[in-house]
Amino acid sequence: MATTTARPAALDPHQHLAHEARLTVDDRRELMRYMLLMRATEERALNLYRQGKVPGSFYDGRGQEAVSVGSAFALSPRDRACILHRDLGAHLLRGVRPGLVLAQMMGRAGGLTGGRDGNMHFGDKDLGCVGMVSMLPDMALVACGLGLAFQMRKEPRVAMTWFGDGSTANGQWHEAMNVAGVRKLPVVFVLENNQYAYSTPNSREFVVDPIERAAAYGFHGVKVNGNDVEAVLRASAEACERARQGGGPTLIEAETMRMHGHGAHDDMSYVPPEMLEEWSQRDPIETYEARLRDAGRVDLDALREEVKAELDSETDWALAQEMPDPSTATGGVFATEDPVMGDGKAPWSRWAQEASNA
Amino acid sequence: MPEITYLEAISDGLREEMRRDESVFCMGEDIGEFGGAFKVTDGFFEEFGADRVWDTPLAENAIVGAAVGAAVEGLRPVCEMQFADFIACGFDQLVNVAGKMYYRQGLAVPMVVRLPSGGGFSGGPFHSQNPEAWFLQSPGLKVVAPSTAEDAKGLLASAIRDPNPVLYLEHKNLYRRVKGDVPEGRYETPMGELRVAREGTDLTVVSYGAMVHTALEATEDIDGASIEVLDLRTLCPLDRDGILESVRKTSKVVVLHEATRSCGVGAEVSSLIAEEAFEDLDGPVVRVTAPDVPIPFSPPLERAVLPQVDDVRKACHDLLAY
Amino acid sequence: MPQMGVSVAEGTITAWRKRPGDWVERDEVIVEISTDKVETEVPSPAAGRVAELVVEEGATVDVGTLLATIDTGSKPGQPHADESDPPPPAEEAEANGNGKAPPVSPVVRRIADEHSVELSAVSGTGRRGRVTKKDLLAFLEQGAAKPAERPLHIESPYKEEPAPQPATPAEAAPTGEGERLSVMRRQIGEHMVRSLHEAAHCTTIVEADMTAIEAARGRLSYLPLVARATIAALREHPRLNATLEGDRLTVHDEVHLGIAVSLGEEGLIVPVVRNAHELSHEGLGARIKDLAARARSKQLSPDEVGGATFTITNPGRYGALLATPIINQPQVAILDLEAVVKRPVVVTDGQGGDSIAIRPMTYFCMSWDHRALDGVGAAEFLGSVKRHVEGWSD
Repeated sequence: MATTTARPAALDPHQHLAHEARLTVDDRRELMRYMLLMRATEERALNLYRQGKVPGSFYDGRGQEAVSVGSAFALSPRDRACILHRDLGAHLLRGVRPGLVLAQMMGRAGGLTGGRDGNMHFGDKDLGCVGMVSMLPDMALVACGLGLAFQMRKEPRVAMTWFGDGSTANGQWHEAMNVAGVRKLPVVFVLENNQYAYSTPNSREFVVDPIERAAAYGFHGVKVNGNDVEAVLRASAEACERARQGGGPTLIEAETMRMHGHGAHDDMSYVPPEMLEEWSQRDPIETYEARLRDAGRVDLDALREEVKAELDSETDWALAQEMPDPSTATGGVFATEDPVMGDGKAPWSRWAQEASNA
Repeated sequence: MPEITYLEAISDGLREEMRRDESVFCMGEDIGEFGGAFKVTDGFFEEFGADRVWDTPLAENAIVGAAVGAAVEGLRPVCEMQFADFIACGFDQLVNVAGKMYYRQGLAVPMVVRLPSGGGFSGGPFHSQNPEAWFLQSPGLKVVAPSTAEDAKGLLASAIRDPNPVLYLEHKNLYRRVKGDVPEGRYETPMGELRVAREGTDLTVVSYGAMVHTALEATEDIDGASIEVLDLRTLCPLDRDGILESVRKTSKVVVLHEATRSCGVGAEVSSLIAEEAFEDLDGPVVRVTAPDVPIPFSPPLERAVLPQVDDVRKACHDLLAY
Repeated sequence: MPQMGVSVAEGTITAWRKRPGDWVERDEVIVEISTDKVETEVPSPAAGRVAELVVEEGATVDVGTLLATIDTGSKPGQPHADESDPPPPAEEAEANGNGKAPPVSPVVRRIADEHSVELSAVSGTGRRGRVTKKDLLAFLEQGAAKPAERPLHIESPYKEEPAPQPATPAEAAPTGEGERLSVMRRQIGEHMVRSLHEAAHCTTIVEADMTAIEAARGRLSYLPLVARATIAALREHPRLNATLEGDRLTVHDEVHLGIAVSLGEEGLIVPVVRNAHELSHEGLGARIKDLAARARSKQLSPDEVGGATFTITNPGRYGALLATPIINQPQVAILDLEAVVKRPVVVTDGQGGDSIAIRPMTYFCMSWDHRALDGVGAAEFLGSVKRHVEGWSD
């Protein structure tokens, strides 16, 4: 009972959404704003790193903004997310302030883990996010567990998780895919195929196109242009709907390119320059900006100004945060109360409509 | 009060919790209609249904990882590893995801992983382990190891209520060999508190799990000495005060465990005593453990490796004479 | 039972030459037997340890009957079953620091420190003679569990005997090796051992010039004069005139002076000169003479052997120079007067000039209880005794 895998239609910037993912002008503005915010936050963080204010390593998702923003945009407030290190857009969409992200990276007490974990290893539980671990793709299994809870309680909620191409070589990814397929869990697996796992190109990572594997595990898979935020959104919205209605998991393979090194310490000299050149022509922000300008309904300059001003004040705030008190290092290993997860923000107008219709 | 086996007590405890709280559910291999490899969940499928008694695929990381996700969303999963040895296949999720989650994220993970542990029946190297030491080294995980039927039921209830990941070591060799009076209905045995299995004044044997019974048998009469036997019950958090109180009384200590020697509970307890009760010692702290070998299969080899009653008797005798 | 001749059917055990536990060499005579033909010694068929004598002396059994069993797997030198391990040699307990002494465990060290116990006074039952926690606690309990006594009456080695005791069967029938100690000996021994266990014995020795005493004593023994000097010193250093029970020290106003009296081979006894501080040396001399005479004729009353606050022992006439006496419990010190010997000594005249003189010198040897005193206190007291002795004037 293998299902067929869908292939993306050719992109038509003026095409109306054939699908239910209807977008207002404000939605489009929001999509753009979150991509800009992600890029601006990461650029600012990289500066701080180069200024010696960020201990340890620094990772960003430059060039992949459409993937996390597009996919997370489809989530409702009560959905849950296991976000990875190139998906800052998802954190911001759920409601995390850029300042908190910067404080987290700088190891400040006011950051999201109080200095207990670094770089992108965070998840604001009050916004319905579970923070990642370094071992990948462990969070795929955690997402299955979240989906399991929704299924058992018969709730129309979705767990979304991201991971890269390299993860698909790992046993835990296969366990996650298998378990999700066997129980038809309401999980959306977003595979960011950014062509490289550190220095390892896909050709050395696997011989089967990852999207084929969805069928192998018995569920729907779709490959999209990962640099087209609305394409990513459409595929994600569809996947979420499927999950909510008991149709089981979906694997979305978003094709994109990692424009920076694995981390700031990596000069990515193993990437052929022409490949980078080609992908830079398809920059998700620039291409979406061009489309929006054509449509003429969004004041992009004002938007950029707004994002810059926000980053300025957020950076000031983050820099003012204190380093953690060393005497707190050994506390807080064991919980004394049960977990409470909060709901995230959901800027898609659809949710506001549904809430007002309810 | 009915007398039931250790196995029945575990079943009882689990059933009571599942009846009382809908968010408690079981996941593991062959635990559904089959009732589990050791029949702990016998009858559960019929009573609670497929959703709450989930026959998972053969994937330990998936079991543990999915449990984490379910737990943070407010459910209370009780995972079963078919044999404790197989926790190695779920080690990453347990140590890196479950164990570290609260410290890093402030997100509690209330889950239990049941581990049928221990040897003594020709299980061989992969069905006989006592892997607790790995997890005593991993911050964020609690570890319990009941030795009596009564504690088996009560500790399971406590483990399920605890908002942290708890490893529950149920010794396979005790399943049907140990019986006890077990109160009906639901009760919790406190974690982090040891039990004095026998009071004494001349020497203390510190033990847990199946070895508590070995210790009691071995120390019934050694030259008429009065020997105290402690049942730790919880390995993390360790009842340090309880141990030290006994050391102050008897000044001679034998630590006994079935797990292998190096860096085990024996090493931890010895070190604790040396640091905190040095001036109460009237002799060296002695360990009786399995040596650092995989547990062999053939009975004479297995018996030579697992601590026997005579090994304990000799160690106590020698220490008494010191 | 061996076949001793073709027609012999039985034999009698006349005497076993070995008992169970003894080692017997091959061919060594193990038993004497007699038959109607001959009396003979039987050599052992094997070397080993005699395990059991199956047939007893005097019994007659058929030829071929098992007479005894020998354990051929044992080694010579192992103790008999009824022999206990010899106590660890005393040197081991005292030789701390030479690397061969048994270790002092942390808990034993701590408890000993807390109670100021000298571990050499505690007998150890642990491995290598180690003092175990149990040994030490038992030792402390002994000290603490002494019966509550009225302060001025103490146990004495002397027990009034109403009549000569008939020899009890146990004492009349020796086990074969030596004779049992007399009651007095045992009691003296018990008191001495107990004293050594309980008190932290130290001995301080001071040398004194007896010239003045010799000039003053005439035909008297010097004991009463030294006793008088001692009493004077006790008034100056009252802490030496004290009794210690448990951790309760009682300093006494009156000096009740115990004087050790030898009863020859029987033992010794310590009659007490009560209120000795009220007596002159002549008075002391008279009282001591009287007490000693009545002690030797066993005419002392129990009241006269209890309640001493200080003891003097004086075996000096036998020529010994130094001694380390054992404290008479529950007092805190005992003074031993040894021989007075003429020796060349350095004397300093009034101008500070030194010369050699022949003087009658003696050593005052005092054992004292470190639980109650320190070395300084002991030395000061002895210094006072010496001063009174050397500066003696009537």
